[in-house]
Amino acid sequence: MKTFPLFNKSSAFDGIYLVFMLSRLQMLYYMLIMPTILVDPYMIWVIILVGAVSQLILIMISKWFSSEFAAKGYLGFVELFGERTVRILAFLGLGLILLKLSVHLLGYVEIVHQFIFFSMKPSWLIFFVLLISCYIASKGVENTIRYSVIAFLCTIWMLFLFIPFYTPPIAFLHDLYPLIPTEWSGQSWRGLLLIMASFSGAEYVLFLSPWFKRDKKTVKYFSVANGITIFEYVFLFIASLLFYGANYLSKSSYPLVNMVRYLQSPLFERIDMIVIAMFLIHFSFAIGLLLLLLYGGVRIAGGNQNQPTRIGFAACAIVVFITMIIMNELLWKDHSRQTKLIDLQMWIGAATYLLVPVVLLAALKRKGRT
Amino acid sequence: MFKKKGNDGNKSIENQPLKNNGTTITSDALKRHLANMDDAEFIERTTDKEQKIMFVYIRTLIDHERFNESIIQPLMHHSCDLIYECITTSKVSEINTMEEALSQLLQGSILINDPIRNQWWAVLLQNPLARGIETSETETILYGSKDSFSEVLEQNITMIRRRLPIAELKTEKFTVGSLSKSTVVLMYIDGLTNPEFIAIAREKIKQINYDMFLDSSQVATFMEEHHNSVFPQFQQTDRPDVCAYSLGLGKITILVGNTPFALNAPVTFFHLFQSPEDYINRWIVASFLRSLRYISFLLSLILIPMYVALTTHHYQMIPLQLLFVLLESRGKLPFTPFWESFLILGVMEIIKEASLRMPTKSSQTLGVIGGIVIGQAAVQAGFASQVLIVLMGISAIASFLVPNYLMTKANTLIQLMILILSSLLGIFGIVLGLIALLIHLNSLTSLKQPYLAPLTPFYWKDWMDLFIRGPLVNMKSRPEHLRPLKKWRYSQRR
Repeated sequence: MKTFPLFNKSSAFDGIYLVFMLSRLQMLYYMLIMPTILVDPYMIWVIILVGAVSQLILIMISKWFSSEFAAKGYLGFVELFGERTVRILAFLGLGLILLKLSVHLLGYVEIVHQFIFFSMKPSWLIFFVLLISCYIASKGVENTIRYSVIAFLCTIWMLFLFIPFYTPPIAFLHDLYPLIPTEWSGQSWRGLLLIMASFSGAEYVLFLSPWFKRDKKTVKYFSVANGITIFEYVFLFIASLLFYGANYLSKSSYPLVNMVRYLQSPLFERIDMIVIAMFLIHFSFAIGLLLLLLYGGVRIAGGNQNQPTRIGFAACAIVVFITMIIMNELLWKDHSRQTKLIDLQMWIGAATYLLVPVVLLAALKRKGRT
Repeated sequence: MFKKKGNDGNKSIENQPLKNNGTTITSDALKRHLANMDDAEFIERTTDKEQKIMFVYIRTLIDHERFNESIIQPLMHHSCDLIYECITTSKVSEINTMEEALSQLLQGSILINDPIRNQWWAVLLQNPLARGIETSETETILYGSKDSFSEVLEQNITMIRRRLPIAELKTEKFTVGSLSKSTVVLMYIDGLTNPEFIAIAREKIKQINYDMFLDSSQVATFMEEHHNSVFPQFQQTDRPDVCAYSLGLGKITILVGNTPFALNAPVTFFHLFQSPEDYINRWIVASFLRSLRYISFLLSLILIPMYVALTTHHYQMIPLQLLFVLLESRGKLPFTPFWESFLILGVMEIIKEASLRMPTKSSQTLGVIGGIVIGQAAVQAGFASQVLIVLMGISAIASFLVPNYLMTKANTLIQLMILILSSLLGIFGIVLGLIALLIHLNSLTSLKQPYLAPLTPFYWKDWMDLFIRGPLVNMKSRPEHLRPLKKWRYSQRR
């Protein structure tokens, strides 16, 4: 039987790939709904503040990257926690990955459905997005990591589309006031949580540490990625504030996408359709990566030490597809349930981003003492 | 004077299996092996010293004039003791086994028997049957050298050696094909090319096990790692300057006997967009032209699918003025945009293929018929819209901007795939198709090296010669993704 080299390692990647990967993992569905939830201009400072917290977390993650356990991969985790604990944690992780995957996948599909294909059944869109993500994942971890370069370069240019919103007559400076909070509401807390969850993603990258060189510059690369993300969040949030104003911002479900609809071009009337379709490049990367982690997690949780198989991976992808269809029908289509699901992922995303590196670092310290 | 012995006397042994491994050479054994070969000749001649010498050769493979001048004449009036000393040609070798004898015969050698010493000699006198050095037809350029490879392997090696007159330029010879016995020559610059590439290529050539190789592309097929891809994983070229440049960068070159196309590897997707003229033009002009090629490639892929996507799914994307033009043009068509495009694309491919297969003069007529008559007639008959014909024309011309013809061919199939996706999913389908293409390219390798380098793996220093062609004075180092042993292109780093 022909081998399925899903988790092969032929060479170690440079830290620059961490920049591309992390930067794209932090620019998913939450980034698109961020202005609707943040609303108030003073949340710019919150983005920067949470960005600083994210930087501290990334320093912790980079410490993990430089440890000898990171290079060992699964065996490194077993040495730290023991096999039984690793299997239990992997089992718990499956739920977390599935939740993250569902929110980003269903969120993106909803945008495509709303702006490009209103007449098409979302199930078909879920199928096609998952299909292309599975294709990326089926090429293995190495190719998926390399694909992050393409994902980054094919989507980073979209920022330039928002420059016109900074220029008059659309932009009014007073839309950026007040910059100092006069009150702190429950919605503000929700915004803070959303930003934290948006910054998450590196806690999944750390499981790919065996594929990277043990480099002292890891923290530098993480910092660059984090810096790019902070800039993108702030840039896009300010653009949406200047365009809508704080009062009207909460009324739009996808403010950033709607802003692109206003852009004019001599060739195309609706640039937003192209932009949304192009988003698939980095959504498919993120979903492909999560699929790989999910399949890896299933194998660890099931205690499977054999080579990965095509049938196993296909079965995993089919289960994900069925789960997504069910979640879409039961949870996503109903607005209140959708909000609850998004909120749940916000809490879990923020918590895992904070806790996973802390737990790993604590385990490293403990192991160092013993 | 010559006594022709013929070769049809041993009919009783015709059907016997040929066993030639290591057996002693005798004229009888040779006759057995060459039975039923009309062009195999055995002649015996008596010299002035009354010495009988036997010559064995295959008439169609040898140069008769040189045979007369450098073998017959000197031997006729020889004053030397040894036959070997009389022969006035340099390629003389002693042969001891039947296997060697047959191999030499089939290469165009004349076997000479020295009866005194009971020794056989092989004198290589190949028939110089070859066309001259001509201009490349597949990779034409305005400026730069005009010569191209021919079917003569030695001549091809000479053309490269003249461009790289260095002792480090190594050539390793292999024979592949149980029937064709094709000679494959692996060329590289020792101390510059990464030894890993050489070892992989050497190993892959040795592993080739097939009967016949009529072209270098067939050798490439056996060396490729991804057989089901439409993309060439070896750069096939008939230009010696391209080979010399590739060798200088740290690649390997493979030459195959009886074919004018050499193979360069490892190749990347971006190498296929580079033309020799890029390094002759001013860097700004070259960069512009190279960028134009990439844009044209993309246009040729998505222009028709875009038309189908917009007219089928996304009318709202078309500006109002353009929409009026389109409605007028498509108003009376009986086909959906997909079928309209599919049919015209099919006709276009038929015309392209026919123009390649027909004689040059006929193909010009065909171009006129195809381009004007069919195009105009299709519109008037109501089979296609004028907009589509215009887009089809642009798309077809754009596809030919890629210097590599194999890439142009791949282009059509990809376009068809994206066309189907665009009819199903519109813009989303086009992006889906392009992503699938990028994923496929990302997973391809050439000599086990990534096909999308230096984009992914990311080597930003190599970007100087990627989408643009930077000034040569600034391109101080060789491409990092080829991992050459000598990094700098200057003999002394400035």
